[in-house]
Amino acid sequence: MKILGIITVIITGFLLLQAERDFPDWGDAASPASDNRLSQHYITETINETRVSNMVTAVLADYRGYDTMFETVVIFTAGIAIIGILRVYGPSTKLEHPEPTLDTEKPDLIIETTCRLLIPIIQLFALYVIAHGHYSPGGGFQGGVIFGAAFILLALARDLQTAQKWVPENRVLNLAAIGIFIYAGHGVLSLIFGENFLDYSILTKVLPGDAIDARYHSMLGVEIGVAFTVTAIMFSIYSNLASNGKMEEGI
Amino acid sequence: MTEQAPIFILLFPFLTAVIVALVGLRHKSLSWPLTLVSLGASVCASLSTLAQVVEHGPIRYKLGGWSPPFGIEFHIDGLSALVAVTVSVVALLTAIYSKDNVDAETPDKSSQYYSLFLLLVSGLLGIVITGDAFNLYVMLEVAALTSYALIAMGNKRASLAAFKYLIMGTIGASFYLLGVGYLYIKTGSLNMLDIREILETAGLFNSPTILVAFILITVGVWIKMAFFPLHSWLPNCYAFAPTTSSNIMAPLVTKVMIYVMVRMVLTVFGPNYAFEILDWENIVVWLAVIAILAGSIGALAQKDLRKMLTFLIIAEVGYMVGGLWLADETGITGTIFHIISDAFMTLCVFLFAGIVFAKTGARDIYALEGMFKKMPLTMVGFLVGAFSLIGIPPTAGFFSKWYLVQGGINSGNWEYVVALLISSLINAVLFFRLIEIAYFGKKPAEGHDHHHGDDHAKVSEASFTMLLPLLSTAAILIVIGLYNKELVSVIQDFLSQFNLATSIR
Repeated sequence: MKILGIITVIITGFLLLQAERDFPDWGDAASPASDNRLSQHYITETINETRVSNMVTAVLADYRGYDTMFETVVIFTAGIAIIGILRVYGPSTKLEHPEPTLDTEKPDLIIETTCRLLIPIIQLFALYVIAHGHYSPGGGFQGGVIFGAAFILLALARDLQTAQKWVPENRVLNLAAIGIFIYAGHGVLSLIFGENFLDYSILTKVLPGDAIDARYHSMLGVEIGVAFTVTAIMFSIYSNLASNGKMEEGI
Repeated sequence: MTEQAPIFILLFPFLTAVIVALVGLRHKSLSWPLTLVSLGASVCASLSTLAQVVEHGPIRYKLGGWSPPFGIEFHIDGLSALVAVTVSVVALLTAIYSKDNVDAETPDKSSQYYSLFLLLVSGLLGIVITGDAFNLYVMLEVAALTSYALIAMGNKRASLAAFKYLIMGTIGASFYLLGVGYLYIKTGSLNMLDIREILETAGLFNSPTILVAFILITVGVWIKMAFFPLHSWLPNCYAFAPTTSSNIMAPLVTKVMIYVMVRMVLTVFGPNYAFEILDWENIVVWLAVIAILAGSIGALAQKDLRKMLTFLIIAEVGYMVGGLWLADETGITGTIFHIISDAFMTLCVFLFAGIVFAKTGARDIYALEGMFKKMPLTMVGFLVGAFSLIGIPPTAGFFSKWYLVQGGINSGNWEYVVALLISSLINAVLFFRLIEIAYFGKKPAEGHDHHHGDDHAKVSEASFTMLLPLLSTAAILIVIGLYNKELVSVIQDFLSQFNLATSIR
């Protein structure tokens, strides 16, 4: 079996080297991927068509917004899958230990104080990253991860129960679903107004400004949707993994 | 509203998946009806799309209003419309069937289960209707993640099998993605039709990068469809998964991957590149011959009913891979026809295996003893499925195999014809063995069931929600068989654009 594996790896490596022979030069401005109507269109027209200065966001959230919607769904799926596989419902072991052992210990002063200082800043920074997706590097995925990390830090510094007070299990799922609904809602709304799915320009009927502004604002809207889902699922995955699916005591 | 039908095929199951995950937290009993309603709506949307395609030709649906290649489009022609109808109908039938199983096998988690189920269906539908090579990967990811979870929610052995599948599936998907990446490096486009056009106009067919892209995509898809010798993940996955999971995945996942292979070979690279310039048909057909024989012989060795059926899937995958690489119009017609008929006949026998398992709790084939007396209707459904897998007219399996054999003869690939006939004979042996056990079984199933022994009035049929999908699938198999001409004309309309060889090369 091992030899078979080595042979497969060598063949694959050989193939990849073969492919490399015909690659365009590194950083070649005339390579097909950078010098054709597709990329040129994105580079020159994005600002006119969507008024978004970060063209990566425009490609992600508008030109290929359908892909991004399903990337968000992938994250949602991962969350549901982990709940499906790991989560153990059943009689709580709490009945046997009326007082969780973790709570009897006083939290460490240094950790406590650091978290108190850090968590609000982390959350604020997450909101900044989400809101500035179309000016600067950032967006829903990145911001959502940072926001989720704030809750994970809380769970690590105190214990899972404390973090669960802020985001109980059901609320996590609700948040994740709301995120998807916000994203898909933009699409469904465009359908209702009589345009194709995810055609934000028609949303000018409910958003301020003209059709191009509607694209601009919708992109912020869908980024917020992505952020909701990512935040919730990040924390859900952490709490399921850390507590073996029992949701009682974390690590 | 009909011009929006393509998006509704996908939108109903997708949005309902999220709703089920939400509502199911409080009202578990609502999950099943919601699933049914959404899949029913999806079936209507896909049928309406098929009608439009047949009437007016391919549909191009621009998502976000951006015209391709700047945005993503759905490109729905006869092939994708037919497969989309198949996927949604199979999903609906499985969903009806799932009512009793899901609560029994995954207690407390039925809402998550249905949510994942619907996401799997939307992933598969997304793969089928998309016209964008990268979007196909995204939907592949949705379908793959959900299927790992749906398998792992079974017993301990299922978790291990799911882990194997996770590794293999991820390698397959990465190969596909790498292939698409290489295509993008050389063409600068992700839209399937656009890639094809650039490949032709820029004369990229002798570029090694394109060759490697083709190999990576083909092998990646082969891993995902369990083409022998890349099949080792499949038997345990489908044999030990929860009943509903294997019922939905066994008919659909491998078939949709075959759809991807057909789509890549015909639409993206073009038959001219795949069959003329590369000229590998004979090697691939021989591989397919080995796959067919290996799958059939593997099935003969099994005592576990569901595991035996999983080996038949491997043989069927061999039929279809071989059928495509015959590079003959009749053969490819047979491949596409077989995608549809195999989806339904696999569904039929898996539904039957699920009923047997639910009724007797036993997995091995001897659990079938006395079934004709106890469940006559169930056995009728099973017989139709079995006859279709063997290839007895007027079931769908006969006609699709007919086209495959014809294609083999036209292109002169006699080894393929022989393998197909041997495999059909082995199927006949397998299923008549089952029928014999069910009909002439020595002891009248004591200890399995306390209703036994009185008279025919005391037959103990499966519940209505299990019987209805089985019998409908059997009916669909016969209907496809009877209306095979109409189906073939849709497929040939689709194939006519490719100038495939129709006679002996």
